[in-house]
Amino acid sequence: MTPATEQSNAYRPDALVVGGGIAGMQSALDLAEQGLKVMLVERGPSIGGHMISLAKVFPTLDCASCITAPKMSASSHHDNIKILVNTEVQGIQTIGGVHHVKLLKKATYVNFDKCIGCRLCEYACDAEYPDPLEEGLGARRAIGVAFTNAIPQKAVLNPELCATCGTCARVCPTDAIEFDQQSETVIVQTDAVIVASGFALNSLNVKPQYNAARSRNIVSALTMERLLAPHGPYGRVLRPSDGKIPSSVAFVQCAGSRDASIGVSYCSRVCCMYAIKQAMLLSGALPIADITIYYMDIRAFGKGYEQFYQNAKAMGVNFVRGKVARIDPVDDGDLSLHVETTEDPENFLQERRHDLVVLAQGMLPEWDMSGTTPVQRAADGFVATPMLTSPTVTTAPGIFVAGVAAGPKDIVDTIAEAGAAAMQVSQYLYQKRSANVTESQSAVLVG
Amino acid sequence: MAMKTLTAQQKQALATMRERIGGVSEEKKQHAKQLKAARKAIVQLLTQKPATAPEIAAALNMPSDEALWHLTGMRKYGHVTEAGEEGEYLLYALVATEEAAATAH
Repeated sequence: MTPATEQSNAYRPDALVVGGGIAGMQSALDLAEQGLKVMLVERGPSIGGHMISLAKVFPTLDCASCITAPKMSASSHHDNIKILVNTEVQGIQTIGGVHHVKLLKKATYVNFDKCIGCRLCEYACDAEYPDPLEEGLGARRAIGVAFTNAIPQKAVLNPELCATCGTCARVCPTDAIEFDQQSETVIVQTDAVIVASGFALNSLNVKPQYNAARSRNIVSALTMERLLAPHGPYGRVLRPSDGKIPSSVAFVQCAGSRDASIGVSYCSRVCCMYAIKQAMLLSGALPIADITIYYMDIRAFGKGYEQFYQNAKAMGVNFVRGKVARIDPVDDGDLSLHVETTEDPENFLQERRHDLVVLAQGMLPEWDMSGTTPVQRAADGFVATPMLTSPTVTTAPGIFVAGVAAGPKDIVDTIAEAGAAAMQVSQYLYQKRSANVTESQSAVLVG
Repeated sequence: MAMKTLTAQQKQALATMRERIGGVSEEKKQHAKQLKAARKAIVQLLTQKPATAPEIAAALNMPSDEALWHLTGMRKYGHVTEAGEEGEYLLYALVATEEAAATAH
């Protein structure tokens, strides 16, 4: 990367945070509260990350958006935080201790200063497609606000979906639509960076024996979160293949991790607990449904987690110890699970039928920054954190990491780590600037 | 919904964007055509009586998941609403407002 081909001279933050999820927002808020100027860069059209789309959190069963939305709001209203959405970090080059962060600000085709978030453009748009924010179950239009409580509440036009009919501009009351807007590359200089780029899940099809490609009723855990969320695509739990109210739901654990054959040998750490949480929520949403969790072992390691697990058992959630070998789509959209269980030695190979299956996929790093930044990855693909006593310190001086970018972890640990990363940045900047002051004082004295 | 006329500058900008994205592909045109036809057919069906996703799918000869997706989109934008349950399925009914009728695809 050639540094400083285009400079963003107008704003030079003390720290730049990559990723507007819960880790990035918490880091940004903790730095901003110390009086430091922060730039929060988010690739998508809204901050909030995965957490804003979750139904509830474990083990308290608090509403996820009730926790996330105030953080989003606080970040967007803080005088010391500048948020850039629809912006990708393309690389970081460190020159003389200063990080030159190359950003691609993607065209939104909407003037954010003029847009009032009225959504008239969205209501008038004719181009409707499956919504990736709803895991494809819901619909979105070529222009619109990402979701109800998105921040910023600004419309964004997707040129890949747009039919270029111009209707959005005809109905916009503030003339905010700018069809000639172009993406731009800017380079921001900063003294510190926090990588909080989060996670992706591996494909539902990573284990072909589960046949996810052949059934819409084999879904990801994030899809189940959307089904359970009161503001989800259907407004209730329905089966995606036909809208049936499910009567038997299965959770297949370790379906994308702890499996060297698919290259993910580590444990994704949160699947046991979110499966238990979703099972409990399903018990409430579908009181007469059978809920079964097929597991190898339950890893309920956090504060209050074991009790949460015991509560789920007491509520009637079935826990079957064993491994699902194969899933076959059968009649009427149902699914036949071939299970090897350890619970009944006389009948350890069983075939069980369910009408909706949730696969616990593995967590993977969302952003591969190797090659474009000085940050090194560990063998598992996540950001390398070589110092055991400083888990937010990376291999690159002045670049820190928080949350799942460093490895799978739950929300509680992510928030704690985000605070730790902010503290590391604060300490780093203090030491760096103190050293600079001392150097300049020495120069004056010697001179 | 009040519609303004595009200014010459907006028309030029729109033409520039159209050119930049390589025009409107055949795939997009086909998608728009099918969407419009499906929505119109669903509205016609629901005008007679509320129906479930599989019933709509059978009547229109489309996969059930596709019928459900259309209903989900129409529900999001206020054109249909839930109207009780029939067995293990939800019934969907049209929202009878002029605005909904005007903006239904």
